[in-house]
Amino acid sequence: MTGAGIATVARQEFRLRIRAGRWKVLLGVFFAILLAFTALLRAGLGQLASDELPYKGTILYGGLMLFVLGLALLVVPALAAQSVNGDRERGTLATLQVTRLTAADITLGKFAAAWGTALVFLAMTFPLVAYAMTQGGVPLGRVIVVTVVLALLLGTVCAVSLWLSSVLSRTTTSGVLAYLAVFALTIGTLITFGLVTAVTTETYTASVGGVDCFPACDPGPRQTYTATRARTDRTWVLLAPNPFVVLADAAPQLPDERRDADDRSQIRARDLDPLGQIGGVVRGLRDTRLGEGRLQTDADSEPDAVWPTGLAINVALGTAALWLTTRRLRTPSRNLPKGQRVA
Amino acid sequence: MLTSGPEPAAGPPPSGVGVVAKGVRRTFGPVEAVRGIDLTAAPGEVTALVGPNGAGKTTLLLVLATLLVPDAGEVRVAGFDPVREPDEVRARMGWSPDVFGLYDNLTGREYLEFVGEAYRLGRARARTRAGELLELARLPEFADRPVHTMSRGQKQRLGLARALVHEPQVLLLDEPASGLDPRSRVELRELLRHLAGTGTAVVVSSHLLGDLEELADRVVFVDRGATVGEHRLDQLPAGAQLRPWRIRALDNAALLVALDRHAYNHDGPHAGGVDVRLASDEAAAALLAGLIGDGVPVISCQPLGGALEAAYLQLTEQGR
Ligand SMILES: Nc1ncnc2c1ncn2[C@@H]1O[C@H](COP(=O)(O)OP(=O)(O)OP(=O)(O)O)[C@@H](O)[C@H]1O
Ligand SMILES: [Mg+2]
Repeated sequence: MTGAGIATVARQEFRLRIRAGRWKVLLGVFFAILLAFTALLRAGLGQLASDELPYKGTILYGGLMLFVLGLALLVVPALAAQSVNGDRERGTLATLQVTRLTAADITLGKFAAAWGTALVFLAMTFPLVAYAMTQGGVPLGRVIVVTVVLALLLGTVCAVSLWLSSVLSRTTTSGVLAYLAVFALTIGTLITFGLVTAVTTETYTASVGGVDCFPACDPGPRQTYTATRARTDRTWVLLAPNPFVVLADAAPQLPDERRDADDRSQIRARDLDPLGQIGGVVRGLRDTRLGEGRLQTDADSEPDAVWPTGLAINVALGTAALWLTTRRLRTPSRNLPKGQRVA
Repeated sequence: MLTSGPEPAAGPPPSGVGVVAKGVRRTFGPVEAVRGIDLTAAPGEVTALVGPNGAGKTTLLLVLATLLVPDAGEVRVAGFDPVREPDEVRARMGWSPDVFGLYDNLTGREYLEFVGEAYRLGRARARTRAGELLELARLPEFADRPVHTMSRGQKQRLGLARALVHEPQVLLLDEPASGLDPRSRVELRELLRHLAGTGTAVVVSSHLLGDLEELADRVVFVDRGATVGEHRLDQLPAGAQLRPWRIRALDNAALLVALDRHAYNHDGPHAGGVDVRLASDEAAAALLAGLIGDGVPVISCQPLGGALEAAYLQLTEQGR
């Protein structure tokens, strides 16, 4: 594996993508949809006066990021899902494999081209993000963190799609499966989490009264009752890799401050933040103190974050996909997938 | 580095160079594509790989080209093992498959430059090499036109140029002449002879026996996955069975009378002449002497199909 080899493959893939021509149209449509979304959201917020709603940027930015993640997840699987088997079909893969490019050069070059293209789509949001920042309540640090996390999440999708294109001989199959993989990561994690949580919900017995009476009183009869509780403190991991969860929870918490520090009735930016809200919910699910029968609201310290686990799962998934793709592309090959010729 | 000893004047090539394959086997699931092919190709020679469809030629070339692991057998390409030292082999070996494998949206020059970089020639060297090869493949007018505007034969020539980018010592070509016009085929022959002349070991698989007869030094016959004969082209096995010869005369009637008198079975007459089946060159010489002795005005007497075709038909017919 050499940097020059990866660059050679990546440059070539980029050039072929640009020549194929439809990317300008796709980028244009992508931007137009984002622009329409932002404009509509802003118009909706515009009904409220600025002293009623001081941090419009917070809502705009959070909404835009969740929306762009959803939209990108619709586009990105297509970027790599036919990369390897498409080359095989055209007979170009073997001509690369007999050169001095290594399997890792080819894998990482193709990945870099797909990921790079995904990042170009992501860059389409920058003007809109800049606009949201002018509306207040969007610190630069938050923008940087969210952008990096988005980039990593899209990289995972590229890597998994690339792997699918290397193990499946038909481009249509790998295309469909790449979308199914995204479905599994988004809706699938949600459904699995819900079902597993329902199945593992436990019944417990507790008692009230008859304890800790101070200084002295009639403790009365002890009352025992049974109740159920969902052990989301154990099942939260199933939800953690969900890209929306990772993105929302990774966004740094907005500062606990008001426009007018003395006026407690004023709204805070963090109260309006869609990302922070989602993050708060999933952290609440994770909170292990739930298991001790506590309510999440009486948490006396901040619950643990979910995103480090979620992002780590995603990055591990992507890395594993790249490693497996490299193994697939290694020649001379011993086993060929059924119905596949080398050249 | 390998040190090669003094080269023997004749016999098998030294193991440090060219191609040596012994007892190569390769199956695809239940299909035994190759079940015992031997092939040697010496530097400076063109070795033809000949056999019926499905004989395993392409599969063998894939093994030699570091793309497939053989199930068994001993293989050396340019002195290295394609399985254990693929990069060493790739640096010295050029391969052109029977499919084009080109990128439609690149120009000829861009494509060759890309391949040059893939072979680690460096940008500058890749650029000059692309220019040279476009000349060599007679494609200078396609330097800046996209591949999809090329004809089949032009693509074929670009595919050959691709295999030559890094000036390989061993050249493996899978049906390089299919789809080429007669002039391009002559030029391909000249190019391959030239490359052999500079010390390249050239292996060509082809069904165009007439071309091979003029091009090849040695021929390896394969049939149903196994080598059935390996010969120098000037030492082809004399056909044991009858071969057709075509005789033309100014006076067909006189020719037929003479043939009947000598009791030869014959086809014709037809537009090309009269065909007679003969066992050997000696039989042909005797017939010709007899006809001329009878005063038949003979213009020509030649074997139909070359010696290579005769050997091919004989070797691949067995057990059929
Ligand atoms: N990947 C594969 N999977 C299954 N069978 C294969 C595969 N590749 C080749 N074969 C089989 O192996 C045999 C040899 O094929 P190969 O392509 O090597 O023949 P060939 O000598 O090149 O034929 P042709 O002259 O038609 O090009 C054939 O029967 C073919 O069907
Ligand atoms: Mg073949």
